[in-house]
Amino acid sequence: MAAYVLHLAILAGIYIILTLSLNLIIGYAGQVSLGHAAFYGIGAYVSALVSLHWSFPFPAAALAAVLAGGLCGLALGLPTLRLKEDYLAIVTLGFGVIVDLVFLNLEITGGPDGLPGIPPPNFFGVSFREPWVYLILVGVFVLLVLGAAARLVDSYHGRALRAIRDHEITAQVMGINTPAYKVLIFTLAAALAGLAGSLYVHYITFINPETFGLHTSILILAMVVLGGMGSIAGSVLGAVILTILPELLRQAHAYQDLVYGALLVGLLILRPEGILGRGKLSLKFLQREG
Amino acid sequence: MFFQQVINGLTTGSVYALIALGYTMIYGILGLINFAQGEIYMCGAFVAVLLLATGKVNFFLAFALGMAGAALLGVVLERVAFRPLRGSHPLVPLISAIGASIFLQSLALLLFGPNDRHFPMQFTFTTVKVAGLPVSTLQMAILAAALGFMGLLVLFVRYTTYGKAIVACALDRDTARLMGVNVDRMVSLTFLLGSALSGAAGIMMAIYYNATYPRMGLLPGLKAFSAAILGGVGNIPGAILGGLLLGVAESLGAAYVSSGFKDAIAFAILILVLLIRPQGILRGRGD
Repeated sequence: MAAYVLHLAILAGIYIILTLSLNLIIGYAGQVSLGHAAFYGIGAYVSALVSLHWSFPFPAAALAAVLAGGLCGLALGLPTLRLKEDYLAIVTLGFGVIVDLVFLNLEITGGPDGLPGIPPPNFFGVSFREPWVYLILVGVFVLLVLGAAARLVDSYHGRALRAIRDHEITAQVMGINTPAYKVLIFTLAAALAGLAGSLYVHYITFINPETFGLHTSILILAMVVLGGMGSIAGSVLGAVILTILPELLRQAHAYQDLVYGALLVGLLILRPEGILGRGKLSLKFLQREG
Repeated sequence: MFFQQVINGLTTGSVYALIALGYTMIYGILGLINFAQGEIYMCGAFVAVLLLATGKVNFFLAFALGMAGAALLGVVLERVAFRPLRGSHPLVPLISAIGASIFLQSLALLLFGPNDRHFPMQFTFTTVKVAGLPVSTLQMAILAAALGFMGLLVLFVRYTTYGKAIVACALDRDTARLMGVNVDRMVSLTFLLGSALSGAAGIMMAIYYNATYPRMGLLPGLKAFSAAILGGVGNIPGAILGGLLLGVAESLGAAYVSSGFKDAIAFAILILVLLIRPQGILRGRGD
C-alpha cells in the first residue's frame, strides 16, 4: 500500500510538471497545444536512447531531453505561432499524431514493443532505484519548476504574456513583441515536458508509444482546465486530482474518459475559471468581436 | 497501379470532403472548430449499422435515418456544448468541443463495445472495366453519392433563402440579425446540414472499410479538418477541393512513400500549407 501511494506521488509529480508547462501556454499566453504529450514523449525517448546507447548519466540524459523537447517546440512554434489559436490547436494535434507514428514506426524506438531496461538514475554515488529516493528527485524538480514558473508569471515577462492572452493587438501596440513571446513560452513549455518525459522514463524503466498518444495530451489538458487556466496552484491541484481520481474509481475504469469529457464541457460552462482560476479568464475580458 | 491509387484516393477524399464541408460551414458561421465532427460521423455510421442489423430496414431508409441521427446529434451538441459559451475566448469552445468529442467517443465505447461491426450490406459490388482499367462499383457509388451531396449543398447555399441567410450570417452576424435573420436558427441549421453530411460520410466509410467502431471518427475528423484548411477554411468549394486533394495525396503517399506513415501525410500537408499559404488554396472566409 505504501509502495502504491509512493508510486502515485511520483506520477503526480511528473503530471504537475506537465500540467504547469501546458498551463503556461494555455493559461498565460492564451494559446492552445493539443499535442503536449508529443514533447513528453520526445523527452522520454531521447532520454532513454542516450542512456541505453551512449550510457549518459541521468543529469546529462535529462538535459538532452530538455533540449530535445525545447528544440522541437521551437521548430513547431516558429512557423505556427503567428497563426490564430484554432490553427495552432490543429497543428499541435497533428504534430502529436505524427510524433506518435514516428515512435511506432522507427527501428531505433523499438516500434510498438518499445524499449525495455532503461537504467534508473545513479549519479554522485546515489542510486535512485528505491521509489522513495526517486520521489525526492521528482519533488526537487517539481519545486524548482514551480518556483521558476511563479517567478516568471509575476515578472515583466509574465505580465506581457497575460497581455497577449487578454488582447493580442493591444499587447502589440504596447510594444510587446508578441510572436517572440509566444515562441519563447511554447519552447519553454516543450522543454519542461521533455524534462517530465525524462523523469517518467527513468522511473518506469520501460518505454512504448502508448504512453504518449492523444489520450495523454487530452488528460493534461483536462488537468489544466480542472485546476484553472492561468493558476499555478490550480495546475498542482488539477494534476493531483486527476492522478488520484482514476485510482479511486478503479471499478469504474470504463467511465474514466466519459467523466473527463463531461468534466471539460461542464466546467467550461459552469465554472470556466476552474477550481482555482484567477477571476474570469474567459467570460469578461475576452469578449470576442462579432 | 497508379490509376488504382488515384481512384482509392478520390473515394476516401470525397468522404473527407463531406466532413470538411461540415467543418468549414460551422467555422464560417461561428468561427469555431467543431472537434466533435468525427464523433458525429461515427454516430451516423452506428445508427445505420444498428438499424440494418435488425434486418427489417431498407438500406436507403437506414442511410437517411443515419444522416438524421447525426444531424440531431449535431444540433443537440451545439445547444449543449457551444451555445452557452458563445462570446467567450476562442479557446473555450475549442476545449469544450474536445471534451464533447471524448465524451461521445467513450459513450459509444460503453454502449457498443470496442469491436468492429461489419456493415450488413444488401447489395453486391463488382469490379468493372472503365477505359480498360478496373474500377470497383462500390467506389463509383461512394464517389457519386458524395459528389451528389456536395452538389445539393452548393445548390442549397446558393439558391435558397435559408442558404443565403447562412451565408449572410457567416459574412456578418450582426448585420444579418439587423436584416431580420434569426441567427440562432441559422446556426442550428448549419450544424444540422454539416452533421447530416458527416453522418453520410460515416455511413459510406463504414461500408467501404466494412468496419464501424467508436474511435472510427477520430482520424477522418482530423484529416477532414486539414482538408478544410487546405482548401481555405470557410470556403465551400475549397473544402471539396481540399478533401479530394488530401485523399489522393494520402493514397499515393501510402503507396509510394511509406504505408506506416499514411496517417501522418495529411498532417504534414497541413503544416506545410499553414507555412506557405495559410489562407488555403482558395482564399478562406475565415480570415
